[in-house]
Amino acid sequence: MTSNGTRWALLGATTATAVGVGRLVARRRRRHQPDRQDGWYVVRRGITVDRPVDAVIGFWTDRERLDRALAEWATLEQLDENRWRCVAIDPAGGGTEWRAELTVDGPGRLSWRITDGPVPQEGHVDLVAAPQDRGTEIRAELRYRGGGPLRRALGLARGDEPDLGLRDALRRIKSLIETGQVVDTRHDPSGRSPAQEQATDKVRERLTTGGRA
Amino acid sequence: MRALCWEGVGKLAVRDVPEPRIRAEGDIIVKVRASSVCGSDLHLINGFLPAMREGDILGHEFMGEVVETGPGVRRLAVGDRVVVGSVVACGGCWYCRTEQYSLCDNSNPQPVFTEKLWGHSPAGILGYSHAAGGYSGSHAEYIRVPFGDVGAFKVPDGVPDDSVVFASDAMPTGWMGADFCGLTGGEVVAVWGAGGVGQMAARAAQLLGAERVIVIDRLPERLGTAADRLGVETINYAETDVLEALREMTAGRGPDACIEAVGMESHDVGPAYAYDKAKQTARLQVDRPTSVRQAIMACRKGGTVSIVGVYAGLVDKFPLGAAMNKALVLRMGQMHAQRYIPMLLDRIAAGEIDPGYLATHPMPLEQGARGYEMFEKKEDGCLRSVLHPA
Ligand SMILES: NC(=O)c1ccc[n+]([C@@H]2O[C@H](COP(=O)([O-])OP(=O)(O)OC[C@H]3O[C@@H](n4cnc5c(N)ncnc54)[C@H](O)[C@@H]3O)[C@@H](O)[C@H]2O)c1
Ligand SMILES: [Zn+2]
Ligand SMILES: [Zn+2]
Repeated sequence: MTSNGTRWALLGATTATAVGVGRLVARRRRRHQPDRQDGWYVVRRGITVDRPVDAVIGFWTDRERLDRALAEWATLEQLDENRWRCVAIDPAGGGTEWRAELTVDGPGRLSWRITDGPVPQEGHVDLVAAPQDRGTEIRAELRYRGGGPLRRALGLARGDEPDLGLRDALRRIKSLIETGQVVDTRHDPSGRSPAQEQATDKVRERLTTGGRA
Repeated sequence: MRALCWEGVGKLAVRDVPEPRIRAEGDIIVKVRASSVCGSDLHLINGFLPAMREGDILGHEFMGEVVETGPGVRRLAVGDRVVVGSVVACGGCWYCRTEQYSLCDNSNPQPVFTEKLWGHSPAGILGYSHAAGGYSGSHAEYIRVPFGDVGAFKVPDGVPDDSVVFASDAMPTGWMGADFCGLTGGEVVAVWGAGGVGQMAARAAQLLGAERVIVIDRLPERLGTAADRLGVETINYAETDVLEALREMTAGRGPDACIEAVGMESHDVGPAYAYDKAKQTARLQVDRPTSVRQAIMACRKGGTVSIVGVYAGLVDKFPLGAAMNKALVLRMGQMHAQRYIPMLLDRIAAGEIDPGYLATHPMPLEQGARGYEMFEKKEDGCLRSVLHPA
């Protein structure tokens, strides 16, 4: 049996990993810039999962599911009672690697900080029981620094990509908890040539990433 | 395998395409035995619903045989003869739990478009453009069905393929249209559109207790079929003033409930239609809402207007004042296939509904483009062309 702390760390790692890897979600244009506070961009996003809080935390005991969630691109290592280290590689290739430290702050809260990576970033996740019979609200706040030559070199000149990544990550987490999978239609058959299929994959990516307009 | 693909506005062709494969635990692969055209496809083919890509495989109303199941599939086995709901539903979200399957949170992997357009993304739909998830459709030899346990239903022996295929879409849509009316028995119900959906809505209204059902269209063959098969009254809107006729038929009250089963390519006679058509062609309005306007004007005070015809965007000249001041109830939506299919299969088996007459034009998949042409132009009394891949 995995401890509650570890389950938490796994949830956080999934969120942080998906968010931290900015390249995945680059190249999308949105008109408004996120809020700024003391030099940090701040984005807050929430999603409602149709399971009680205990079940949302409990979900992450299943190692196999977690591996599917994190795919091949992240590992998690426990440092002490309440702290973990997460190492992730950019799944889109290019060898970008980053490290994060995750801390369980309490029964309903977890936070993380990127210790080494292309975008300075920190964030936290709260789990709150939703009203009526609606399950759990996963509320995430993400702070990151914008601009910088490195970000520009990585194609992250605009400040909104981590926001899109966060929304995408939350949507995936919800789907995993509720259905055990994230649907994907990228390889469905079509009458397209390889070149047309490539162009269509770009459209699919644009229609997939972000969400919650 | 062979599949009917969209090749640009108004253009369809059968092409060789790769076969689908199991990609997730809950997937099943269905060998298609019958795949019907639907009024919704016309909106896609004609470019009124955006987000089609060249090469997309059409088709979402179908039945067939399970030939492969993912490791997570429990309810179905290879060899099962099944009908599949057009709407994809995960079975695990709040909407699925409350049987609002067409609002599923997790079945549209490409939600950004509809979130921008409508505020939230409803469920994915098979073979229904990249706005509805980018799923391949059923006008093919094989189709991958995600969440097979939720979306596919074993069909009773002895019911022919070309009959049970309509339990996929036209029947649940029509049923939901009548269900929305909250009938308690004895009502007068008017149905706009005598296509497959309107006919099934009319039958559902009868089964749910309506005393009189009045079907409105301009195509004499379709009105004739509805009268013969279902025993409904009919109005030809090309010859008769619909509002006048409905008022007279109900001694001034108006129908208790009005079901709109026409959709955004609604047709009309007169100047308002020319205005709508011009605006739609110029893309100033996506939808032509003629029949919705009429339904609202015709409906009795405090009655229900139930819309199952598909609309995508903004409409013009919507009689909100009539709806407000007459205290109408407006209900609408894409159908919750999975909620109604088991009940509908029972009713087919019991002989209460026999949708087989909708399949006026069975034909090989290879003739799919022609099948759509006949369906769109309503040639030769075509109610629905049903394609057979094998
Ligand atoms: N809500 C859903 O889930 C769902 C599912 C399936 C189909 N649909 C929609 O239902 C509608 C009907 O589908 P169908 O397959 O029966 O299409 P169809 O094209 O066979 O039938 C539409 C009928 O409406 C008639 N019509 C046109 N203008 C009219 C008017 N002003 N007044 C009365 N009748 C008029 C046409 O003559 C035709 O007979 C379409 O919009 C389709 O997209 C919705
Ligand atoms: Zn349809
Ligand atoms: Zn669902």
